[in-house]
Amino acid sequence: MAYAYLFKYIIIGDTGVGKSCLLLQFTDKRFQPVHDLTIGVEFGARMITIDGKQIKLQIWDTAGQESFRSITRSYYRGAAGALLVYDITRRDTFNHLTTWLEDARQHSNSNMVIMLIGNKSDLESRREVKKEEGEAFAREHGLIFMETSAKTASNVEEAFINTAKEIYEKIQEGVFDINNEANGIKIGPQHPTTNSTLSSSQGSHQAGGGCC
Amino acid sequence: MRGWRSLPLRARTAPRPPPHLTSRPTWLRRGGPGGDRNPNLPLKSRRRRKQRSSQQRRPVSPRWPRAGGGTGAAGANPSCPQRRPPSPPWVSVHQLPHPAGTAVMCRCPTCLLCPGQGLTQVIEKAETSLGIPSPTELSAQVQDEQQQAGSPAEASGEPDGAAHGAMGMFSSLSSVVQSTGKTVITGGLDALEFIGKKTMDVIAESDPGFKKTKGLMVRNATLSQVLREAKEREELQTAETDASRPDRKAVAHYGVLFDEFQGLSHLEALELLSRESESKVKSVLTTLSGDELLQLRDELERIRDSFSLADFDEEDVDEKKDADGSEFEKELLEAMEGLRVSATAAKLSTACRSSCSLIAAMSRQDEEEQEEEEQDTHSVDEVHAAAIRSLAELTARSIELFHKLAETTLFAGGGGSADAAVLTRLTVLLCKEISLLSRKFTSCLTAAGSREKADVLNPLITGVFLEASNSASYVQDAFQLLRPILEIAHIQRTAEADQQS
Repeated sequence: MAYAYLFKYIIIGDTGVGKSCLLLQFTDKRFQPVHDLTIGVEFGARMITIDGKQIKLQIWDTAGQESFRSITRSYYRGAAGALLVYDITRRDTFNHLTTWLEDARQHSNSNMVIMLIGNKSDLESRREVKKEEGEAFAREHGLIFMETSAKTASNVEEAFINTAKEIYEKIQEGVFDINNEANGIKIGPQHPTTNSTLSSSQGSHQAGGGCC
Repeated sequence: MRGWRSLPLRARTAPRPPPHLTSRPTWLRRGGPGGDRNPNLPLKSRRRRKQRSSQQRRPVSPRWPRAGGGTGAAGANPSCPQRRPPSPPWVSVHQLPHPAGTAVMCRCPTCLLCPGQGLTQVIEKAETSLGIPSPTELSAQVQDEQQQAGSPAEASGEPDGAAHGAMGMFSSLSSVVQSTGKTVITGGLDALEFIGKKTMDVIAESDPGFKKTKGLMVRNATLSQVLREAKEREELQTAETDASRPDRKAVAHYGVLFDEFQGLSHLEALELLSRESESKVKSVLTTLSGDELLQLRDELERIRDSFSLADFDEEDVDEKKDADGSEFEKELLEAMEGLRVSATAAKLSTACRSSCSLIAAMSRQDEEEQEEEEQDTHSVDEVHAAAIRSLAELTARSIELFHKLAETTLFAGGGGSADAAVLTRLTVLLCKEISLLSRKFTSCLTAAGSREKADVLNPLITGVFLEASNSASYVQDAFQLLRPILEIAHIQRTAEADQQS
């Protein structure tokens, strides 16, 4: 249960692109075809392991509706990572990416790692946005890119974990000041030195996937 | 490790005696033969009284960093939206009307269960031998001092309260406290120190949560930070005890559970919204001038008043009432009528219902148990864990509800948003429910632990009441976080109305 770091993530993107479904698939490993409209923000959390370290992801799943924008902007602050999601079967959701990106850059810290996600990759027959287009957009704006399917769980795990890896690397490089909580990173509880071996081994036993 | 912030030390170095000391005579005397009562519970409820009496809602939570005990600098955090200048606890206690003081004593159900720890004798002995002034003398003195020094403090708070902020108010108040403190301490410092040490030891012995509190009293952070730290400590503790005693079942930790129900996240989000709204309100105020400014100030003052006047005094709740939680649900629905947060409210009702059915199941088992004289079907540990879990869930859901209300209020701007009266009603309802649940659970505990020794059962009961009291103050803190949100919503509404006309 004890973790080395806690990363705050936000999931953003147009309404209906599958943000809440991605979260549910990642935290609960299940898919719900019909989802209630998210109001404001909902939360999920899961423990992952990177480089032998337990990392807790605290995920803020924001509402995609335009009318909630002014509220959801408040939540960008203090996020270490963002998943910017579009729907590969709806071109307009891809066209809105620039606005989302501007918004995110403006309201969060400059070091935030952004992962661009083309969701619903299982619906190949209805595809409107080519994978190459997504890749190009990501290259142009310095984002990481992945196509996922919340329904089949394809790449979902990878999307969340690769973002965390990128953040973790930035920490190692010293880009992120981990003592500044505005960066969306918190250091886990410090083990008392005398018991460190005991409790850390215990910690890894307890932390088996699933929702924490 | 956790003991480094030991309070006896603090008591020795503090410029004035800690609050519990100065207020001690009030309850001791009133308590009369109550010398054999548990000192820590009346203390807690008394704190709550104090803050009510001064109309300045200050967090009761022992986990909350209590500014009153620290230095001036530690007390004022301008970034914390709901922080208000703490009234010197020591002043308000003596100004308490009598009925409040007496009521404190009889409310605590654990009083009868906790044997005396010799505290009374210690105090009385020290008191008589060192000639400490009586409480009435003390209060007269305090009031005099306050009248002399109080006027500059009030003056500084009034003309531009918002800009002046908590800092100015607090430092002037704390200087009043300090000078008052010095006068009273002269001559009696040794006695006070002695009593203080003894009291802390006694409290720490019987209150498992108190050590945490001591550490947090001097700190300064937002509620979510405090809760997160508490949770992390609990996680570590669990890991350690599990490792050392694998045979024992994990103890229920409120903080961990609260986080599991996403209470922390919702609280953090609510704090973000609250802080942002607060700064928006401030910036609007700077753009206005003349009559407009005065009018807006007036309107905001009214909103502020409705938040600070709220009284969360729990009436004497009947334990038998609302056995399945349906009454709570009905009241909740009534209070929430017209607010578009039905999904969240439903979660809250479900949480309450499941707690109620849990209690019902456990009490049924208890009765059967008595008839059949069987061994524990529900151990006290299990009942305790269920109680802590229920309280954590109910509180987390309440915070979630407040967060959703904040969002819909900001979102809707006008129609469908909550007003202060509704929120107050909701807060009262939630606090009442928390108190009711804690009573039901402790009765279950008492029944289940009828064969246990007092030193096993009492800390568990105290723990439930402690967490219930914490829960209630978290709910009240979340309520206070909504104030700036209602203010900015009001400003937006007026602006829209102006544009239309």
